[in-house]
Amino acid sequence: MLNTSLVLPMSLSQRGEMTRRSLLQRSAAGLLASGVWSRIGLHADEVKREGKACILVWLAGAPSQMEMWDPKPGTGNGGETKAISTAVSGIQIAEYWPKIAKQMKEIALIRSVSGKEAAHERGSYHLQTGRRLTGSKDFPHFGAVVASRIGDRKSDMPNFVSVGETLGSGFLGVNHAPFIVDRPGELPENVASATSPPRLKRRLELLREQDEDLSEAGAKAIVEEHSKLYERANKLMTSPRLKSFELAGESEPTFEAYGKSAFGKGCLVARRLVESGVPFVEVVRGGWDMHNNIYDRIKTNAADVDQGLSQLLADLKQRGLLQKTLVICMGEFGRTPKINSRDPKPGRDHWAKNFNVLMAGCGVKGGRAIGKTNDTGQEITDRSVAVEDLFQSFCHCLEIDATENLYSPAGRPMKIVDGGEPIKELFA
Amino acid sequence: MLHRAHRFRFVILSVVSLGIVMGTAWPHQAQAQSQGKKSDKKSDKKSEKKKDNKAAAQQASLKLPPLKTPEDKLKFLEVIRDSMPTRKLTSTVSYTPSDLDKALTFELKLPADKYAKPISDERFVRRAYLDLTGTPPSAKVVTEFVQSSETRKRAKLVDELLDTDDYARRWARYWRNVIFFNSTAPRNKVNPQALEDWFAKEFKNNVPWDRMVSEMVSQTPKFNKAKKDDNNEWGQKYGPNNFVLAYDNDPTDIASHTARIFMGINIQCAECHDHPFDKWKREQFHELAAFFAPNKYYMPDKDDPSQKSEMHAQFLLGEKPPPGLKPDALRVAVAAYLIYNTDNYWFARAYVNRIWNELIGDGFYSVDSLGPDKESLHPIVLNRLASLFRYKNFDHKWLFRTIMNSETYQREIRTIDERDEFFSAVRPMRLNADEVAESIEHVAGDLGRLTRGVQKTFKQDPSKPQADQRGSMQQALLLMNNAPLQKQLKQSELRKKLVATKSNEQLMKDLYLGALARSPTEKEMTRGLSHLKKSGSREDAVDDLLWVLTNSAEFITKR
Repeated sequence: MLNTSLVLPMSLSQRGEMTRRSLLQRSAAGLLASGVWSRIGLHADEVKREGKACILVWLAGAPSQMEMWDPKPGTGNGGETKAISTAVSGIQIAEYWPKIAKQMKEIALIRSVSGKEAAHERGSYHLQTGRRLTGSKDFPHFGAVVASRIGDRKSDMPNFVSVGETLGSGFLGVNHAPFIVDRPGELPENVASATSPPRLKRRLELLREQDEDLSEAGAKAIVEEHSKLYERANKLMTSPRLKSFELAGESEPTFEAYGKSAFGKGCLVARRLVESGVPFVEVVRGGWDMHNNIYDRIKTNAADVDQGLSQLLADLKQRGLLQKTLVICMGEFGRTPKINSRDPKPGRDHWAKNFNVLMAGCGVKGGRAIGKTNDTGQEITDRSVAVEDLFQSFCHCLEIDATENLYSPAGRPMKIVDGGEPIKELFA
Repeated sequence: MLHRAHRFRFVILSVVSLGIVMGTAWPHQAQAQSQGKKSDKKSDKKSEKKKDNKAAAQQASLKLPPLKTPEDKLKFLEVIRDSMPTRKLTSTVSYTPSDLDKALTFELKLPADKYAKPISDERFVRRAYLDLTGTPPSAKVVTEFVQSSETRKRAKLVDELLDTDDYARRWARYWRNVIFFNSTAPRNKVNPQALEDWFAKEFKNNVPWDRMVSEMVSQTPKFNKAKKDDNNEWGQKYGPNNFVLAYDNDPTDIASHTARIFMGINIQCAECHDHPFDKWKREQFHELAAFFAPNKYYMPDKDDPSQKSEMHAQFLLGEKPPPGLKPDALRVAVAAYLIYNTDNYWFARAYVNRIWNELIGDGFYSVDSLGPDKESLHPIVLNRLASLFRYKNFDHKWLFRTIMNSETYQREIRTIDERDEFFSAVRPMRLNADEVAESIEHVAGDLGRLTRGVQKTFKQDPSKPQADQRGSMQQALLLMNNAPLQKQLKQSELRKKLVATKSNEQLMKDLYLGALARSPTEKEMTRGLSHLKKSGSREDAVDDLLWVLTNSAEFITKR
């Protein structure tokens, strides 16, 4: 059970959210509304979880737990994969992750996550929102929740950046939507203004009036969103922090340490963005859907992620950022412990019964592996962890009140996390 | 309301179920029926069905003509098609746009003031152009249409636009996007452009929907190494091959996307979800997939994928093809069961619901996420439209005309949050990527290489409800700042014309007609005139105003 000191008082924030909503509903244009907020200084009272951030390394396609943090060498299901020792005695991981092994003191592995969805779309939705997909697909990605809870609303940078495509912010709207980076390391396109600042200001003023007319004509929701986007885009264009997207000034040794792959660059960009105050960054690495040829494919995939992720942890620690930055590495589910017989070489299929998640930083005590599976890797024998428990734990690290309500457009209250408890073994 | 819908469906089905009979629905029987033996068919069905099934099926498999080429397949499907009793009903059934309005009004039960007002000619012409051609109308078209005193001019415009190449292209692009948005195939194995071009040709010839789907679903493209240099080793240059190729020729993916796109149901849910489709379990899904397998098809065990059980093809409503069919013929069979079994009302309904969603802004249910009656709004209206679409030989143009000539379509926009108010106004919709690109070109001229960038930045999932479509900061940044675009706007014909116009009032009129396909309101006129007056340079003022309109929410919205 969770002790009470872990729960932060969040009433102010709750009240703030309600007030903002009703303000939004009353005002015709989003631009106007945001002006009102800042004038009456609602934000000043909000509890600030200063400096906390989260980096999600998303392994799209569902990585194999047997080839990651829960190898079963010498068993039939274990296959070719050998185990290696780590910096923490008693914890072994798959041979493909030598650099992660060295960082084990910072890392907590969960070997007993028990999911419910074994199809990509549904699994991704579950593991990115904490909710199962039922009809409406409008629940926000966790990054959008973090952006809305701990992101600075007046920020000139997006509060949720994703290197690679990801799920959207659902009903939390465009203010908390992921800003997608296609080419990590480069400045986002079209951020240089086409005209002088005073002229742009005049144009935006005319644009606001133009859009207000459409809002009155019946397109309220579209105009509200449009205004927010233009406001944010305008801020981003002049942000001094834009350069944190760019890797131009980084040294050769830094590039080498992170790896020169797109994933390595993505991790470096993530570190720079977090350092500049962006509270949630996702870095996507695909290619884990290894129905066949798993032993060849795992090597190249793991090599990129082993290098980028381990260096990210090391770099965050060295800069003193790791204690405030939660790093999560996971995919949408796991893979079958039994090896299939596909052509030309075997692989593993979809499996949600037990899979692995890696966590580090932001209060997570490293050097531990939580949960166990049996020798065949098919049954959890110790400490089953539900997806909701994971999200409770993420919230706990980031000091987000998981019981707080989010409101759907129809006004239906939905808790940030529905059920579950933080995994106390992560923090004890 | 529910039980009424069921009764309704029962009536429809008992009228039309003389055609292909579930379970024994192999084409030779259909053929026999069409030659005059159908009177006894129904009474025999129950008693003899089981007994005769096997024997008849085996006989059938012997009589099959070769089904190797697409032509063979289409010819064969044509026989089935001709045997449909619905074909004979076609001429006698009439359903007008006002029948549709009446039915909806009866269902909605809303007070009169809840309905949005009818749209003006100006609004209608832009909306119809965007819906039927994917481009905004020119200033000239708008002016002439508004001034015309012809009777039935809106209906005539719809007819005219339905005959254009742009209509064919707009909907070809839509379906290409629907199929390729979730494509899992490597890029070098598919040719989305060939698919689009084929769709365009079919829409141009108004080839009925059943024919188009049967052609796509029944393809069995085969690898031919010799054609690799031509980038055609999978036959990807042949348009209709690209449906199965888009899902990498994978039986399970083809099965789930066939159900999703052509029946509007997310069958994968049946595995883990309590819905009326509960009856369609995992096994049935794999039985559907078995139709698309090149050899024997196995379902992997849930817990242990090394354990497999062989699955035999069986369609979702229970139809079994005769044993021993070759892969080519199996795909023809699944097309026949999907399309020509009139009990499969999901087929016509999915199409109607998609088009409705595109035109009105909300679907009766969200387009590809399972459409059981429970989740469908006003099933009585949707089912009626869908069954009529079938009676009308799956004629696209009939459906467009019926919807677009209705009052329901010709209403002002409103953002509707409550489901029970859906269809009392049209939902304002974000233009799709192609429409945005066309709208920009409409003002700025040919975009050249930038077209791609626009399409990528504005890309959206065509199967997602309009209410859930979102803009992005990148979209705003592109329209605000993109250097080539700004340069091109400066050199555009529209700008040249505006700068050369002496009268400021005329300038404002031309500006709004050119960019938003409508005249400015009084408020807009006053605002614009004041800006022109205040600005030091007339050219700068024109640039400002052009920038404002091309960045306005309306520019990327269908209103």
